[in-house]
Amino acid sequence: MNVKRYTNELIVATALLFALAALGYKFSERTKMAESNQIMAKEVAVFQETVSLKKIWGDKRLGKKLESIRKLVPASKVKWQKKGKKLTARFSGLKPSEVNTLVTKLLNIAVQVETLKVKKNGDTYTLEIQCKW
Amino acid sequence: MNFTGNSNPLVLVHRNMEHIAIDVPVDVMLTPQFYTVKKEPLPVRFAYQAKKIAPSLFDGLLDTEGNYDYFVYRENDSWVFIAYEAAEIMYFLQKKGISPEKIGKIYFAQQAVNKITSPVALGEKEALTQIDGTVVVIPRMALPNADFLPFDNSFRPLQGVRPEAGVQSLLSRKEAIVLAVVLVLFAAVWFAEGMRYGKTNVKLQERLTELYESYPALQSAYARESIASKYRTIDTVERKKRKIIGKIAGLIFKGVTLTEFDMTPQKFKAVFVLSDAKVAKRFDQLLKSAGFSKTPASSDRKIVVEGRL
Repeated sequence: MNVKRYTNELIVATALLFALAALGYKFSERTKMAESNQIMAKEVAVFQETVSLKKIWGDKRLGKKLESIRKLVPASKVKWQKKGKKLTARFSGLKPSEVNTLVTKLLNIAVQVETLKVKKNGDTYTLEIQCKW
Repeated sequence: MNFTGNSNPLVLVHRNMEHIAIDVPVDVMLTPQFYTVKKEPLPVRFAYQAKKIAPSLFDGLLDTEGNYDYFVYRENDSWVFIAYEAAEIMYFLQKKGISPEKIGKIYFAQQAVNKITSPVALGEKEALTQIDGTVVVIPRMALPNADFLPFDNSFRPLQGVRPEAGVQSLLSRKEAIVLAVVLVLFAAVWFAEGMRYGKTNVKLQERLTELYESYPALQSAYARESIASKYRTIDTVERKKRKIIGKIAGLIFKGVTLTEFDMTPQKFKAVFVLSDAKVAKRFDQLLKSAGFSKTPASSDRKIVVEGRL
């Protein structure tokens, strides 16, 4: 094969090869970037989810927050037993509005409600709560 | 000694030359039969400037249908312009046995005007000579007693024309260069884009680093996944519990009394007492829209709702 005869074609072919290599490089970088972004975005999302879940359900002030429920009704109506990170509380002689306030307040605190019992006795209600955090 | 580094034999080409067999690369010198020459004392400094105006100088001198190329060089205070048809020359050379790929450079006899101090024989009938500084071909009979110079490599000028790749080439040199430049430009753009892609995830990387620094305890992916899994379960269950309690609370209105509610980690139970049939009808609608149903233990005025968590 006489190379000189095809010099022009060789020039174009070389440039074409160069262009194809650059195009390949661009696509490979784009794929790599997409994969890497996907992995990192997932990692960031899991990280943020973990942080926010931990902030909600692992809040160290939950015990203190629960204390505020105790003060919503007169002490005579409350039996309060807190052991470590577990609470058993019994409220008796409650008016319907008090039951409503106590339950609403409890549910707004990120504790794990083990049992929740409401019972009407005549005109009043008793409320039993067992929860942990 | 050859300082130009060109060792190809120099062949003088004229219209009536014999067919020759060429095995090695050669340079050729064309007689005026293959070109048109013009000298002009133009006030331009560089050859490329002169070459730009070359076509206008030959206006009316050349065949309008021809595809001409131009060779320009300076001679004393003037510029010498040579117009030639490359394709026709290459065709002629090939016909005479000099294939395009064997041609190194093409020179024009006009370039060797100073060497042609005596005529150079072109076969039996013609001769190459110069008249007033212009190389011409004349019949030999016009020079009856002339001493002919032998043509050899000493006639080779410094500059020459490098021929196109050949008549069989699909592209001209100009087309090839334009295409190559366009492709290289594309390549540069694509390469730059590729480089840019490599830098676009910096923001995410920074955010991740920021999170690692803020929460060192969560740096391990295993620990992170374990903590997330633990709290995710708690979150799902507790949200469900709160949703059910919310729905039960939504069933209470005037005439409906909740007498009992019991929720354990597995199930829940609610007992309602209704005041009359009208309230019972509305309660039924609310019950349905909340997605609950009465248990068999229910009666007209006492409704029991149960479900699993």
